[in-house]
Order: sequence, then structure tokens, then C-alpha cells
Amino acid sequence: MYYICCMNSEFVQNWFSQVKKGTLSYIILIILDGKEYYGYELVQEIKIHTTLEVAEGTLYPLLNRLKTDGLVDSKWIEQESGIPRKYYTLTDSGKATLTEMKKIWSALGTAIHKIEK
Amino acid sequence: MKRIIFTNPTAQKLYDDYFARVTRCVRILSPGDQQELLMELNSHVYEATHRGIAGNEVDILIDALDKLGAPEVVLQPAVAYKKMQQAGRSFNPKHILQALYLNIANGAGFFVIGIIYLLTLAFGSLAVIKLVSPTHTGFFLQNGHWFAFGYTSDLPDGLIELLGNWFIPVVILIMGIFYFLNTLMFRLLKKK
Repeated sequence: MYYICCMNSEFVQNWFSQVKKGTLSYIILIILDGKEYYGYELVQEIKIHTTLEVAEGTLYPLLNRLKTDGLVDSKWIEQESGIPRKYYTLTDSGKATLTEMKKIWSALGTAIHKIEK
Repeated sequence: MKRIIFTNPTAQKLYDDYFARVTRCVRILSPGDQQELLMELNSHVYEATHRGIAGNEVDILIDALDKLGAPEVVLQPAVAYKKMQQAGRSFNPKHILQALYLNIANGAGFFVIGIIYLLTLAFGSLAVIKLVSPTHTGFFLQNGHWFAFGYTSDLPDGLIELLGNWFIPVVILIMGIFYFLNTLMFRLLKKK
């Protein structure tokens, strides 16, 4: 008897969507650690370093949320074009939070590796 | 917000149409929040279309707007969140109702708060109904047992109305307590 096994792509897509939601703020904090970025530049940086397909506009609400939570700060800087750029930086609280998140991420990775073996 | 000027009239129309949609999406917010979101997206569009890449201005703009996403979709969470912040700061019932409407899909907590706000309005309306129909509105007892609190068209024998004109301050007080507690709940939910 033969069993044809196929991946449940809908389940995987939903799972990946949840993972993406959960890790996007972590990715933003990592990128902002050590360097300030303006909105568009930050979005491109995320795209370069990850394979995440996200609507670029959805990142701005997330950045606003991180700002409200005190993890990032932002300031408008005027440009010669007359269209200012909004630069984002990591706050001290953001740096401390990122350090803790890295520990959790690392512990989670180690635990998953152990289970997989 | 400084409008971006495109040389191609089609590109200009696409840009203006997109920002007209953005403006419609954010007009429920305070002027400061509206300005912030408009400037943020405008800055993004400017950077995306002025990178010095060769190509048709219309194609470059369409690609940038496509990647940014439809304003009605991408701005919904930001508008809902900012409205909730505004409502939490102001205690203004108009902002609170708008925030509840925008966040109702985000959880049962907001649904419960919405129901309690409706009850608050119901208690407030009882004060007006008491003025219009004083004999049918009040706190009624029948044979020592609770019969009705509010309006009743049925007035059987032996019915006693306890509060008289004090009914109005009592319902206003209940309304105030509900309103205050509900707004505190709203703030707690917002912090989560």
C-alpha cells in the first residue's frame, strides 16, 4: 500500500504568517541597533537581510507601536528636497529589551535544535 | 505636507489619487496624527521614486505604491491604534466610540466595553425620559418587591415610586460611574 503525503501548505502559510508577525519587531530592533535609519531605508534593509514578503506600509504602524512602547525614538530631519526624512533610533530601553530578546531567541533556538535531534 | 511633483501627468494623478485615499483613511484622527502619517508615507514615496533609477516615472511610482500597499489595508492598524491612544487621553465619548468601532475586531474586551457604553447611554436617556414622562419613569416597588427601574407603561395598583425627582440625579450618577469605570477599563486594555 502506498501513501501519498503532501505538505499542508495552508497550515504552513498560516504558521509562517504568525512567525513573521512575531519576529518583525525583533528584526527591526536588531537592524536599528547601532545605526539610525530613515523609514524607507529601514524597510529596504529589512528586505535585504530577510526573505520576508511584507507590504512596506505595514512596517510604519509597527514602528509607531515600538515608539509608543519606548523602544525606538524618531525625529524628522529636513532635506534639500523639502520632503523630510523620519529617522529612527534605538532607545536605552530598546537596547536593554533587545538584549533580553536575543537571550530568549537563542534559548528557543537551542531548545528546538535539541528536539529536532 | 509638501506635495511631490512629478513631470508625467499620469504619475501626478496616480500620486494625488493615492494620497486622497490616505487622507480619507486618516481623517478620523487628530490633526497632528493625520499629519504624521501623511508625512511618513509621503517621505517613503519620495525616497522610493527618487533613487536615481532609470525608467518610466509612472512605472516607478506604480511599483512604489504597490509595494507600500493599499492605504485602506496598511493604515487600518495604525489608525485604530492612534485613535485608541487619542480616546484614552481625552475621555471624549466621540473618540471612544470611534476607537471602539475601529478596534471591535481586536478582541472580546472591546466588545464588552462597547456594550457597557450602550448601557451608559441608556441610563443617561432615562434622565430625559423622566422629564417627559415622570409618572411612568422611576424606581418602582410593588408589595415591597422590586418591580422596575426605568420606564414602564404598565402601572398596576399598589405600585410605589421611591425616588421621585431624585431619580434624575441617581441615573446621572450611575451613568457617570459606568462611564468612568469603562474608560479606566479602556485604558487598561489599551496598555496590553
